[in-house]
Amino acid sequence: MYPFNLRKLKDLLFLVITGILSLLMIIPLLHIIFTVFVEGIGVIIRVGPIFVTGTLSDGGIGPAIAGTFILTFLASIIGIPIAFAVGVYAYEYPDSIIGRATTALLEIMLEFPTILVGLFVTQIIVIPMGTYSAIAGAFSLAIILMPYVAVYTKEAMSQIPFTFREAAFGLGISKIKTVFLIIAPIAKRGILTGLLISIAKVAGETAPLLFTAGGLYQSYPQGITNPVGAIPLLIYTLVQSPSPSDHAMAWGASLVLLLIFLGVFIPLRLSIKEVKL
Amino acid sequence: MSEFAIETEDLNVYYGKNHVIKNMNLKIPKNTVFAIMGPSGCGKSTLLRSFNRLLDLNKIARVQGSVKLFGEEIYSNNTDSIVIRKDVGMVFQYPNPFPHLTIYDNIAIGLKMNKLVKDKNEMDSRIEWSLKKAGLWDEVKDRLEDYPSNLSGGQKQRLVIARAIAMKPKVILMDEPTANIDPVGSKKIEDLIFELKKDYTVVLVTHTPAQAARVSDYVAFIYMGELVETGKTGIIFTSPKSKTTEKYLMGELV
Repeated sequence: MYPFNLRKLKDLLFLVITGILSLLMIIPLLHIIFTVFVEGIGVIIRVGPIFVTGTLSDGGIGPAIAGTFILTFLASIIGIPIAFAVGVYAYEYPDSIIGRATTALLEIMLEFPTILVGLFVTQIIVIPMGTYSAIAGAFSLAIILMPYVAVYTKEAMSQIPFTFREAAFGLGISKIKTVFLIIAPIAKRGILTGLLISIAKVAGETAPLLFTAGGLYQSYPQGITNPVGAIPLLIYTLVQSPSPSDHAMAWGASLVLLLIFLGVFIPLRLSIKEVKL
Repeated sequence: MSEFAIETEDLNVYYGKNHVIKNMNLKIPKNTVFAIMGPSGCGKSTLLRSFNRLLDLNKIARVQGSVKLFGEEIYSNNTDSIVIRKDVGMVFQYPNPFPHLTIYDNIAIGLKMNKLVKDKNEMDSRIEWSLKKAGLWDEVKDRLEDYPSNLSGGQKQRLVIARAIAMKPKVILMDEPTANIDPVGSKKIEDLIFELKKDYTVVLVTHTPAQAARVSDYVAFIYMGELVETGKTGIIFTSPKSKTTEKYLMGELV
């Protein structure tokens, strides 16, 4: 009675096409991870622990690892408090002129070419100081990090049902305390996820560091007003060299960067519990 | 001291250009259950939110006229809306205990923020007292450190009532408190409302006339932002003066 159905075929076709496209999208990602492991593991095993502790002449990338942590940490302590405040402001006053301007500006900043941030920081910090420095690099990273943190903070808090705000006000809790003791803790997972994504993003940035951090691979960083290296920056430098041993090191450095990402961010991401509504 | 808990005089509320409450003159006697009923969208919830200045939260809301709380104007320039809300507790349509706080802390937070208790002992006893009053103590006394997500809808709503009572307010505003609760839970809340009027004035917004008939002493019928009729519940339900009220009670106005 109900023979072959064209709709069923269309459904199947749709499923197959979306499935294949999803697979195509994942392949490059898997390929990157796979290649980085295969190419990187060899050099790390050959050099041993020196690879992560030694300087470049020892055959290690220790200063670059230290530099990445220093830059990311400094960028976070400069950028996160400001960006959190901006996010709270945009959440509290979404319809005010400044609120709307802030939101629009944040969205533009999200897409801003990061190399221009590097140029800007060169103008206002590197040239007056007369030297590349950790602080200049951290400042560029902070500029890139802030719109992400602000937008995630605002979005996470906007997701919280209005009724909790009413409940807090109904109990005579002030506006500021409502944000910090009620809304932000309920939106904790969204806000912290935003923080992690932002930090992870700047930890892997290269362009804004090119003319700000300077690079330092033969010794460990001396202080925040002195030049410092970073893993992505080192990879960029090594790959430009003609020597195959430098290329091998670049693969090793890539693997270290990947492991830092997976090792630091996955456990953190999993440990952030959702507040059940 | 006025004999009325809440008195409004020529109260008008606008949302932008929308005139939602029109020339409202309402007198709510102390220690009674006063029900505000009317079809959806008639302005009941807005009216209720004008009694504790919760409309301040709505950026486009504009209030004209006067609301007196025990004889004191709450819309004068020198009233602090935060202080008003200590005297006026509120329970909402959707049970909204704070999901990130334990049952204990849900009640403690309002007391802490307003510095209403001196020490941990007083806090403990106040929390026990309010949970007992809300009829929830026996169900939660062994799990005060649990989060409210494990409670049923009715239990959550009673927790919110306990949170309001703990502040020892003079008035409790309830915005359709049983709209999202199952019948058994609703019954418990209605019984509780009946108990509460001994100590408090309860203003109850409801969209079911039957509920108003069951629990209230006085009732006001609101239609399209206007007060149609108000008086003792028994009288309004048996001999309404207005045709509109009669239609509403017959279920012909939705």
